Amino acid sequence: MFLATNDVSLLKEAWWMYLLGGLVTAFIILGSVYFGIKGYQQAKELKMPQATIKKTVISSISFSVLPSIGIFIGVITMAGLLGIPLPWIRLSVVGALHYELMAVSVASEGITVATMTMENFVTIAFAMTISIMWGGLFALFFFKKYQAKVLNKVTSGNERSFGKLLFDAVFIGMISAYLGDAFAKIFRYDTKVVVDGSYVIDGQGNYVLEDNRTFVPIIVFLSAMLFMGFLDLLIKKAKLKWLENFQLALSMLFGMTIAVLLGIGGIY
Amino acid sequence: MKKILSVNDLMHRRGRIFMVIGLSVMLMVPILIWLISGVGPDGGKLALAILGLSLLFLPGGIIEVITYAPFLGTGATYLAFITGNLVNLKIPCVMNARELTKTEIGTPENEVVALISVAVSTLTTVSIMTVGVILLIPLRPVLEAPILQPAFNWVVSALFGALGYKYYLRNPKFAIAPIFFSLLLGFLAPAFVYGNVLIVVVIMAVVSVLFAKLIYDRKWV
Repeated sequence: MFLATNDVSLLKEAWWMYLLGGLVTAFIILGSVYFGIKGYQQAKELKMPQATIKKTVISSISFSVLPSIGIFIGVITMAGLLGIPLPWIRLSVVGALHYELMAVSVASEGITVATMTMENFVTIAFAMTISIMWGGLFALFFFKKYQAKVLNKVTSGNERSFGKLLFDAVFIGMISAYLGDAFAKIFRYDTKVVVDGSYVIDGQGNYVLEDNRTFVPIIVFLSAMLFMGFLDLLIKKAKLKWLENFQLALSMLFGMTIAVLLGIGGIY
Repeated sequence: MKKILSVNDLMHRRGRIFMVIGLSVMLMVPILIWLISGVGPDGGKLALAILGLSLLFLPGGIIEVITYAPFLGTGATYLAFITGNLVNLKIPCVMNARELTKTEIGTPENEVVALISVAVSTLTTVSIMTVGVILLIPLRPVLEAPILQPAFNWVVSALFGALGYKYYLRNPKFAIAPIFFSLLLGFLAPAFVYGNVLIVVVIMAVVSVLFAKLIYDRKWV
C-alpha cells in the first residue's frame, strides 16, 4: 500500500520494521516496569525486608544475562532468512527460541533466501505469530479458574503437608528431564541441518539430518552442578554471602566454558 | 454496590488486561507488515502452517500454563506468558530467586518475589536484545565465532545442571525415581527424549510426584 517495492530484502530490513521492533520492546518494558512496581508496592504492604527485594533483583539480573545472550543468538540464527527485526520482535513477545525455529521451518517449507517472496515473508510472519498464542490465550481464559479450583487447594495446608513438597517434586522432575535429555545425546543426536536460518528439506519433504551424538551436554550438566556445589562450599565456609546472587550464573558460565574448552580440544 | 476485589483478583484483572493488549500488539505486527507492504499472506499456506504448528503448540501451551503457573503465582504468570522464554529463562530465574529468598510457593511473599523476578528478568532480556540489535555489526562475528558455539548450544544443560545441585540435594530421596527413569528413557529412546523434551518434562514431573507421594505416605522423608 505505502511501500512501492517488490524486493523482500528491502522489506525485512526496512526502517519501519526496526521501528515496530522498538515499539514492541517499549511495550514490554512498560509492562514489566508496571508489574515490577506493583510487586514492589505489594512487598511494602507485606512489610518484606528491603534485603529480600534487593536479592531478588540482583539474582534475577545476574541469572538472566547468559540465557538472554543465547536468545539473542537465536535472532542472529534466523536473521539469514528473515532479517533482524522480525526474529527480534518474535523473541521479545511470547516467543521462545525452540518454538520459533520450528515455526520458521514449518511456515517456510522449501523456501530459501534466494527464492523468498514478499508474500512468503508476510505468511511466515503471520504463522509465527498466530500459532504461538495458545499459551497466552489459555492463561487469559482458564488460569484464574485453574488457580481457584486446583492450585489453592494444593498450596493451603500445614508446613509439612504434601502440597508444599509437590512443587519441589515437579521441579525435580523437570530438572531430571533435562538430565535425561543431556544423557540421551550420548547415544543419538540427529540435528536438522540449518542453512540461512531455516531447516533444509530433501526431495521427499523430510528434514535433512545428521547424527551428532555427543558427551558434551552431560559433561556441561555435571560440571555446572559440581561448580554450584563448590560455590556453595565457599559461601558457607568462607562466609561469602554476596556470592549467592551470582552462584547460578557463575556455575552456568563454568559449564559453558567447559563446553568451549572441549570444543577447542576437538570434542563437540 | 461496588464489589471489593481481593489483591489476587486485582492482579488477575491487571494480568488479563495486559494479556489482551499484549496479544493485540503481537498480532498488529504482521497486520502492519501486510498494510505497509501492501502484500497479504497466502491464505492456503497460512492455514496449513497454523494448523500444523497449532497441533504442536496448543498442547504445549496448555501444559505450560498448568505446569508453570504454580511456580509463578498470579501476576508473574501473565507477565511471563506475554514475554515468553519460560522454560529456558523465566521459570529457573524465579526458582533461583525463591531459593535465595526462602519463600514458599503459594504465599503472598512468593507472589511478590516471582513477580519482581520475572519483571527484572524480562527487562534484562529486552535490554540485551536491544543493545545486541544496535551493536549487531560489531557483535555478530564475536557471537557467531565457531569457538563459542558450544557454550550457547548447551546453555540449557548448564542451567539445569546448576539448578539440579540445589534441588537434588534438598530432597535427595525424591530425586531417585526421576533420575533413574530419565536416564533409562534417555538410554532406551534417546531420539524421543531430545526430540520431545516438553513431553518428557511432563512424564518426569508425574513420575517424580507419584514417587514423592509414595515415600511421603510411608513417612520415609
